[in-house]
Amino acid sequence: MNAVARHIHPGWAIVAPLLVLVVALYLGPILNIMWLSVTDPEPGLGNYRKLYESDSLLRIVWTTLRICVITTIFSVSLGYSIAYAMVHCHLRQKNYMLTLLLVSFWISILVRTFSWLMLLGRNGLVNNTFETLGLISAPIAFMRNELGVLIGMVHYMIPYAVLPLLVSMQSLDSRVMDASRNLGASGSQTFWRIYLPLTLPGIVASTLLVFILSLGFYVTPAVLGGGKVLMVAEYISVQLLVTLKWGTAAMLAALMLAGVLAMLWIMSRFMKLSAVFGGSTR
Amino acid sequence: MQDKQFMKEMLTESAHAYKEGRMDRRTFLALCGASGVAMNAVLAGDAQAAADHVVMWNWGGQSVECHGSAIGDAFTAATGKGVKFDTSGPLEGKIKEMVDSGNVTADVADADLFNAVSLGPTGHLEPIDYDIVSKDKTLPGYALEYGVSVILYGYAFVYDTEAYGDNPPKDWKDFFDTANFPGTRALYKWANGSLEAALMADGVAGDALYPLDMDRALNKIKSIKDDSIYWGSGSEVHSMVVNNEVTMAIIWQNRGRNIENDTDGRFKLVNNQAMAMPGAYIVPKGNPAGREAVMQFIATAQEVPAQLKLLDCLGMTPSNPAAFGEIPEDQQPYAITSAMNIDKIVYNDPTWWGENGGDAVNAFLEAIS
Repeated sequence: MNAVARHIHPGWAIVAPLLVLVVALYLGPILNIMWLSVTDPEPGLGNYRKLYESDSLLRIVWTTLRICVITTIFSVSLGYSIAYAMVHCHLRQKNYMLTLLLVSFWISILVRTFSWLMLLGRNGLVNNTFETLGLISAPIAFMRNELGVLIGMVHYMIPYAVLPLLVSMQSLDSRVMDASRNLGASGSQTFWRIYLPLTLPGIVASTLLVFILSLGFYVTPAVLGGGKVLMVAEYISVQLLVTLKWGTAAMLAALMLAGVLAMLWIMSRFMKLSAVFGGSTR
Repeated sequence: MQDKQFMKEMLTESAHAYKEGRMDRRTFLALCGASGVAMNAVLAGDAQAAADHVVMWNWGGQSVECHGSAIGDAFTAATGKGVKFDTSGPLEGKIKEMVDSGNVTADVADADLFNAVSLGPTGHLEPIDYDIVSKDKTLPGYALEYGVSVILYGYAFVYDTEAYGDNPPKDWKDFFDTANFPGTRALYKWANGSLEAALMADGVAGDALYPLDMDRALNKIKSIKDDSIYWGSGSEVHSMVVNNEVTMAIIWQNRGRNIENDTDGRFKLVNNQAMAMPGAYIVPKGNPAGREAVMQFIATAQEVPAQLKLLDCLGMTPSNPAAFGEIPEDQQPYAITSAMNIDKIVYNDPTWWGENGGDAVNAFLEAIS
């Protein structure tokens, strides 16, 4: 008993039941999905081979990646300016901005998606106003296409991009920037060479967060894409519920999981992940 | 398997005893626990439901009220058994999952007849008992081993009278003709009905559709892709139409009825060449209420009064030929088997869809995305 206690901290005994429960409830289903991807409909790597053989699957994966990358670029750069403004304005204004940000963060994704239809749809507020003013002769197709999906997704993702950036910017020591100016650097030099590198962990954190969340988007593409923008999440759901090709669905799910893990691993080569997620860099 | 059957019977028996006061609650719960009936089933009262309820698995909304008044009341009057509803929508994957998990909580699913073709042979469904259910009270070809069509719904289309006032579109050929009928169309995202409409537009006769020529159909679909958007649910296409996002839409004929009402007749339903889809009642394997009770439920739904009430309440068209002649005047334009429409419609082949539906949906999704 003593020998065991020397190697394993007794505290683990308290944690163990919970840990076992989490592992069983979390890893179990994931392993089940992996297993399904190599056994349904028949044992072997047939489902994975389809990725090479079927252009349509590749196209869906490609569409998903393209949309996620564009969404991430726009969300993070817009989020960066919002966070920057929040850190550098008066406290009162900052609180207003934070409230607005959190309110939109809390509103259901369905509501936010459908409000875009009311604003930018064919008969929406914007198109109607422009037409009445005589600026356009036919409605602009903002919605029911890839542009619509991007608008909806970027809008949904901005709060997720802002929050990690805000944390990272707030923890900066502003005297460093003062020192840079004092030593003769211009404002933009200070920004590009001091401020931006110091906020890099925040940028990486919000990029990862936004990209990973975007991969699983389902409602927004289905509604705003008008059926023409097929992303992996919706395709998986169709394969599970309608066409009963559970093997294909499991393969795509496993692929997404592997993709996310690979991304985290690549990031960890360049920087300490603990820094990204708010831990100490040392 | 034998054990499971025994336990179910024992529990059914004890549920009856509990109901009649011959057994106290604690003993009943102990028996449920001892026989390993899932706690959640007991908590939800489903073990009781097993004894004296049939659980209908449908799509929610109005259908709870309508299935209750059209079928449930008559069923309760005849058998003394109640009807409960699960409104989560019996998609094929969900039925498969429920049966595979061994925790079957629904007795009858309001599904499509092609589901009976794809899920029956794989052992996920109870066969229909044609000693209780009648083959004559549905259309020929729509009484299959694992499912029977109780209602028909139709894929028809609506058009905007303000866009095509003097020269309205009459058939699928016009629907796919964007040169003479400019405007955006809405098609069904999961292929059903859209493929058949495309083939008819391309000149295939309504009685020679199956097996579907997929390449030909998809080419036709792609030819109007720039002028099309696609819907996945009835409420979605409803909002596309009433918000004037489209000038024509493939639509379920009962939705068409609602849209005509909601737009004060601005949009009009065209039932010419509408495709009759057999909506079917299917029974998940090992359903809790037992086979006899659920077959009686299905037989009740086949009766003429139930059929007419479903039409009145949900807009679902009768599939029992004896009810066709009794469709009231004001419903005639919207019921695809009414005297007004029955000669103009075409019939879906559930066997083709059951066997090829999965691949067809994927090919369709690939073509439109």
